[in-house]
Amino acid sequence: MNKKNLKHILSIMVDNEPGVLARVVGLFSGRGYNIESLSVSEVDSHKFLSRITVVTSGTKIIVDQIKAQLAKLIPVHNLVDITELKSFIGKELILIKLDVKNKKTFDLKKKLERLSAKILEENDLEIIVQFTGSPNEVKKMESILQPYKIIEQTRSGLVSMATGTDYIKK
Amino acid sequence: MKKITGAEIVIQTLIEEKVDVIFGYPGGAVLPIYDELFKQKKIRHILVRHEQAAVHAAEGYARSTGKVGVVLVTSGPGATNTVTGLADAMMDSVPLVCISGQVPTHMIGNDAFQEADIVGITRPCTKHNYLVKDVNILPNVIHSAFFIAKNGRPGPVLVDIPKDIQTFKAVYKGKKNTKVISYYKPNLKPNINQIDQFIKLLENSEKPIFYVGGGVINSGEVASKNLFKLIKSTGFPCTQTLMGLGAYPTSDNQCVGMLGMHGTYEANMSMYNCDLMICVGARFDDRITGKVSGFSPKSKKVHFDIDASSFNKSVNVDLTVQGDLARILQVINKKIEEKKTSFKKAKIKDWWIQINKWRSKDCLKFKNSDKIIKPQHALKRLDFLTKKYNPFITTEVGQHQMWAAQFLTFNKPKHWMTSGGLGTMGYGLPAAMGVQIAHPNSLVIDVAGEASILMNIQEMSTIKQFRLPVKIFILNNHYMGMVRQWQELLHGNRLSESYMDSLPDFVKLAESFGATGLRTEKPSEIDDLIKEMIKVKGPVICDVIVDPSENCFPMIPSGSTHNQMLLGPNDKVEGEISEDGMVLV
Repeated sequence: MNKKNLKHILSIMVDNEPGVLARVVGLFSGRGYNIESLSVSEVDSHKFLSRITVVTSGTKIIVDQIKAQLAKLIPVHNLVDITELKSFIGKELILIKLDVKNKKTFDLKKKLERLSAKILEENDLEIIVQFTGSPNEVKKMESILQPYKIIEQTRSGLVSMATGTDYIKK
Repeated sequence: MKKITGAEIVIQTLIEEKVDVIFGYPGGAVLPIYDELFKQKKIRHILVRHEQAAVHAAEGYARSTGKVGVVLVTSGPGATNTVTGLADAMMDSVPLVCISGQVPTHMIGNDAFQEADIVGITRPCTKHNYLVKDVNILPNVIHSAFFIAKNGRPGPVLVDIPKDIQTFKAVYKGKKNTKVISYYKPNLKPNINQIDQFIKLLENSEKPIFYVGGGVINSGEVASKNLFKLIKSTGFPCTQTLMGLGAYPTSDNQCVGMLGMHGTYEANMSMYNCDLMICVGARFDDRITGKVSGFSPKSKKVHFDIDASSFNKSVNVDLTVQGDLARILQVINKKIEEKKTSFKKAKIKDWWIQINKWRSKDCLKFKNSDKIIKPQHALKRLDFLTKKYNPFITTEVGQHQMWAAQFLTFNKPKHWMTSGGLGTMGYGLPAAMGVQIAHPNSLVIDVAGEASILMNIQEMSTIKQFRLPVKIFILNNHYMGMVRQWQELLHGNRLSESYMDSLPDFVKLAESFGATGLRTEKPSEIDDLIKEMIKVKGPVICDVIVDPSENCFPMIPSGSTHNQMLLGPNDKVEGEISEDGMVLV
């Protein structure tokens, strides 16, 4: 069971100072660990704290080692393996630009509405769609849009939060 | 309050941190700090001849005293030259603070003259590093740097200070009134429940062994004392890593010698066959374990360490206890006393009989000669003749280092300085300087090879300037001996580039730096040479010409396990070394 490669979502509270992301990312690359997704932003402007969400995968031993190494970094205040908690929410934001030149968009818009995706920009040439959901929902969204010509897309990376009282401390 | 310049703050904070010596080299981007250094008398500056040597000297100073070593260098090449030293200190957990100058803040990123992104470069080889862009936080940064360097698992911290910050002014209210990094709190107190579990394992074990590493020395002399008490009260055998030599007296009967690639037969066989392995402040390094899948297959493993990331990194253990080793060992000793656990020596009697059988193989024996000096013999004589001076030993890296570990006695911690993790050739001479500065009246010997010594030979100039009576004991075999040994064993004896041609005349070299040079190639002269070396008041280079073909045994070949040791030149690797083994370093 310990040999299985499992996905882990790590939520890391760090000092928002120059180089902190390089420390975290450098640790992963320097020690040969995987980063599947990464998102980072300041969450407390008084205490200058940022929250980094990293999705990684590995056997239990590898992931324990990743966590121990991360916890050793001086700017890391706190680290939670969200996947080990009872229940949690994980969401991603995706923006997709579709080519609609000379195309009817009525069906498409209907579908988007059903998925609660937002249309942020619409003209004769393109539609820009915003969608928020779990990684699975985002995948589903992508497959629904497959028949249309996707010009470009961008994803925010996963952000995650545990439910209940298992929250990350400052 | 009066405002002072950043450069003054640097000096003031160092004085408050009780720094009495700095190893450094000036340059454009640190001139304001050097100017302040000039104006004061509390801190002594040791001018090295290469910045790498400054770091190794600070390491020698730190490892022989337990204090933080301090380095001061300029920007660009000054800073990049420290990288090897910092990586070395990181691997061997040596507390250092390295202050580097940087180009002025407004020029950072412009490829300015002597600019290097040293914070970026040293991020993976320091415990932490800082680029100070605001003079007001400089006191906080420097005091935090010292706090981080020496607390938890020690390590090097670099503080990069742009030149303009050194000239800007700010208020410094003293260390007491400076907020030092507050959330870095390494866990020092062991979990009692885990210790209870350990005591149970201890009581039930029939084939136990203590596996002791450098963490004990880092934890301090109390840890060594507590460890001695524990090992004595249990009657268990004890083996030490290269870094752990001296944590427990190596001449004690319960010590079975160093373990690992060039460890003793009895140590490695005990590790392989034990039923309880008690790892105290070591990290299951690949030089120790050999082939991990065949490492001590029958044992329960317990690991004590201050660094949680050392647990289960390469070897899975059954019980871990995190905390300061001095405290962990103290709690264990107390529990044993309270419980009145008496360790029945009968229970481990058979184990000792077995160990003594392995011991009787006398794995460190070598064929001595009266025609040519055997390096092992030279070290045995060095050990015998210097023992009463309780010398500090540093080494370079290679065969001589392993022989020194095997043949010298280490009965006290902090007397053995060697580059263990990184394996840095050129470490020993500057480290010896640092040790000598910390212990001006002690005998300090750098056991060297003729190849390694040339990597930082420029430091003879520093030795001359500061009249450091360092003794350099070169085992000269005209080869990069360890490279040649591997080429013999693994690469069909094709000695690619491992012959040391065009060596200097070390006697004349010594004399050109005002030192004494001694040379011998006769076994009959070795004792006189060593006695003369001790007698001479100043620095000495001993050029001891040894058997060029001697190899270092015992040896666990790459990709093999502890019970597959080669004991001497007549032992052959069984079959071919596997491909897995060939790629290992």
